[in-house]
Amino acid sequence: MIIKKIVTYRPSFTVRILAGLISFMVIIAACMVTGVADLTQALTTRDTAYRSRLIEEGARVYMDQCARCHGVEGKGIEGQGPSLSSSNFFNNRVKEVGWNSTLETYIAAVTKSGIPLKSSPMWEVTHPPFLDRFGGPLREDQIDNVVRFIMNWRQAPIDTADVVEAPKPGEAFAPMPTPVPLTAAQEEGKNLFLSNGCNACHAIRGVANGAIGPSLNKLYEDALKWISSEEYKASQGKATTPEEYIRESIVNPQAFIVPECPQGACPAGVMPANYADTIPAADLDKLIDYLSTLGRPTQ
Amino acid sequence: MSVIGKRFVEQVKTTGWKSTIAQRLDDGFTRFTAGLSWNDVRGVLRGDPAPKPNPRVKPHTEAFWFHIRPTFYHEAVTTLYPTFRLGLLSAVFFTIEIITGIFLMIFYTPSPERAYTNMIDILTNVPFGSFMRDLHRLGAEAMVIVVTLHMARTFATGSYKKPRQFTWFTGVVLLIVTLFLSFSGYLLPWDQLSFWAVTIGTSMADAAPVFGPTVNLLLRGAPDIGAGGLLRFYLMHVVLFPLIGIIFVAVHYYKVVRWGISLPPEMEPIGEDNARKVPPDKRVNFLPDIATNEIMYAGVAFAILAISAATWYNAPLETHANPLATPNHTVAPWYFYWLQGLLKIPHIIPILPGPIAGALDQFFANVLGLTPKVFWGVIVGPLVFVLLFAVPYIDPNPSRRYGDRKIMLSLGGVFAALILYLSLAGIPTGVPVTGFGYVGGTPPSEIAQEFMPDEGEGELMTIPFDQMIVGEHAVKPDANVPNAPKLNQVLAEVYHSMEKRKTTADPLGQILNEEATASVKITQIQPDLKQISIIINYLDTTGAAQQYVKYKFIHKDSGRAH
Repeated sequence: MIIKKIVTYRPSFTVRILAGLISFMVIIAACMVTGVADLTQALTTRDTAYRSRLIEEGARVYMDQCARCHGVEGKGIEGQGPSLSSSNFFNNRVKEVGWNSTLETYIAAVTKSGIPLKSSPMWEVTHPPFLDRFGGPLREDQIDNVVRFIMNWRQAPIDTADVVEAPKPGEAFAPMPTPVPLTAAQEEGKNLFLSNGCNACHAIRGVANGAIGPSLNKLYEDALKWISSEEYKASQGKATTPEEYIRESIVNPQAFIVPECPQGACPAGVMPANYADTIPAADLDKLIDYLSTLGRPTQ
Repeated sequence: MSVIGKRFVEQVKTTGWKSTIAQRLDDGFTRFTAGLSWNDVRGVLRGDPAPKPNPRVKPHTEAFWFHIRPTFYHEAVTTLYPTFRLGLLSAVFFTIEIITGIFLMIFYTPSPERAYTNMIDILTNVPFGSFMRDLHRLGAEAMVIVVTLHMARTFATGSYKKPRQFTWFTGVVLLIVTLFLSFSGYLLPWDQLSFWAVTIGTSMADAAPVFGPTVNLLLRGAPDIGAGGLLRFYLMHVVLFPLIGIIFVAVHYYKVVRWGISLPPEMEPIGEDNARKVPPDKRVNFLPDIATNEIMYAGVAFAILAISAATWYNAPLETHANPLATPNHTVAPWYFYWLQGLLKIPHIIPILPGPIAGALDQFFANVLGLTPKVFWGVIVGPLVFVLLFAVPYIDPNPSRRYGDRKIMLSLGGVFAALILYLSLAGIPTGVPVTGFGYVGGTPPSEIAQEFMPDEGEGELMTIPFDQMIVGEHAVKPDANVPNAPKLNQVLAEVYHSMEKRKTTADPLGQILNEEATASVKITQIQPDLKQISIIINYLDTTGAAQQYVKYKFIHKDSGRAH
């Protein structure tokens, strides 16, 4: 019955005029409400929200692409890339390099096109171009977002002692310690380092650029430091010499995990635990021989 | 003095200046209304009965917009039933789409470098920009619904029968135009949602035998959607389909006027069409009754749309399109869910037992090169529209009465139920109970997707910024992180979601091992930026220990918390 009433409903003239008028008032009210909201607060609120989300996007790209050389906190990594979060970077960089525009455009330009450094070397690694049109992996909007993320450090720059600053133009980077000539066995060890894929995760200056596990640049020095540390004594580690420590790290990587990796805290269980089975004992000795030359003081 | 001036002076001399000006104004008014004087219009507005002779029919011969409308309707079609005003509402939404579309065009550039930035500008820098976009988007969704209902109504009342077969035909064209208008507009924001929905849509074309790859190349302008594809979709959206739409609306409406709106089936002798034979006492004049009626329905529909756009509805805008990263649970637009459901049918003849159906699939694939995907998605899918086109030509029954059309109405019902079922199968959660169409990753990835989806908002992302307490928090029902009620609530929700996946397997038979644990880790990245990760430790199907990690960056002012 109700259904029949609804389907045979024919609004009277008065109802039509009233409903029509009310509808038009509602439409005008909706427009006015949006108009007033847009012109007072809504545009600004949405602007802030979307700009914040672009910073979030930039953070993701930064962690994927930039953190391996500039560090998660933008403090820079020795020999890889300078700090992007220090006061010095925000206040002086544009002047130092003689860039005739803003810092934002400088960051964007360097990220997009890279810096060809052979002419005036500041670091031994060059900054590669990241823009897809220049052969890099990123789209323009992603780089714009990375710039937003880096500029977001400006409100609270990080000026701790371990910040790695770029040398000023004209100043050369700290010279690499004269490499100790490798013995034939050590040379073989270096090749084993590459052929076993260690370079995918670990960095050694001039050899490998991995950014998942800890850097091995000063492995001997670090090993000496760790075996005497409290953290190590509390762990399952049993090494007493740097060579033992290196061997243990390869054959039993879970024994002790260093706290800091290029992308934040070192994850447990990432390093394969079966190298003792896959690398023959003789090769393992050569590999350890090679690795213990890294950061070993020269007499 | 000119002739006109002389006449004016003479009139003033004979009738006085007041009456002269009044009469001249009324003349102008009558020209504007194409034949109705001020008094006539006042009579219309007051609801007076039409005087005799009726001056209100004059605009129907004088004015273009009135001349395309009938002078009177049959009383029986002016109630809500049988038309439900769905045809009128389709036209109303089409008009709203054109107007809001032109507004949005002003601020839009069809290029991958600019499009997404333009969208953000429309939302954050253009007064009424967000409102117009919401109107345009919601109006498009409403138009798809209204057009579909209009077709369902026409089918139900048998109004496609002789002499209205061609009206139905143009109507199906307009349905397809509506779907393609909506679909082509989908790509324009150039966000992840649009990019992948359209990638899925055009991939269906790509799967077609012989001409598929060519059609796909023509649509996308390149093997993948890029600058060329965006420009093509834009031109289809703003030029090609609106033009086809306008032309077919003209033909469709001409046919409607030519044959009249069909009467309720029970009012006509079987096989006859009396829509145009209206006895004088059954006539309802267009002016004022039909006109005010239409204005009312249009006004109410627009008012509901405007209120929705101004309040609860926000057209989605996800992150910038990224051809290298497919978000989890990507779907086609909802009106193509049924096509996606069709693609999930595993065999060409699915009712046979598995091995026989599989053997037949082998046979079809080897002999005809026909895989189930191609068969269901590319051959059966478009056949649905061919079937719709053919309806008036294959239905031999002359009667429009419901009682005489039991078979056709049942078939229509079965068709609608099938489309609904396939639509359910098209979405990643699949059909409830049977689980048909379910698509899901491993249990940990599904849990992470539930609370931290690749696109859109999840519970873990809407925690207020100051309640995102830095540290690693184990997921448990009675989580008690100080000063973080929402965080605790979400930790408990994740816990319950894990428990559910530990006890019940998903439709693919995947189940989370009993000992699996999870935690939520929050790190401060910058003073106003935190990283929130969900970390799930579990055993995979081989029994090996695995860790699943998914993370998002959340900015203090991102406006997610609620």
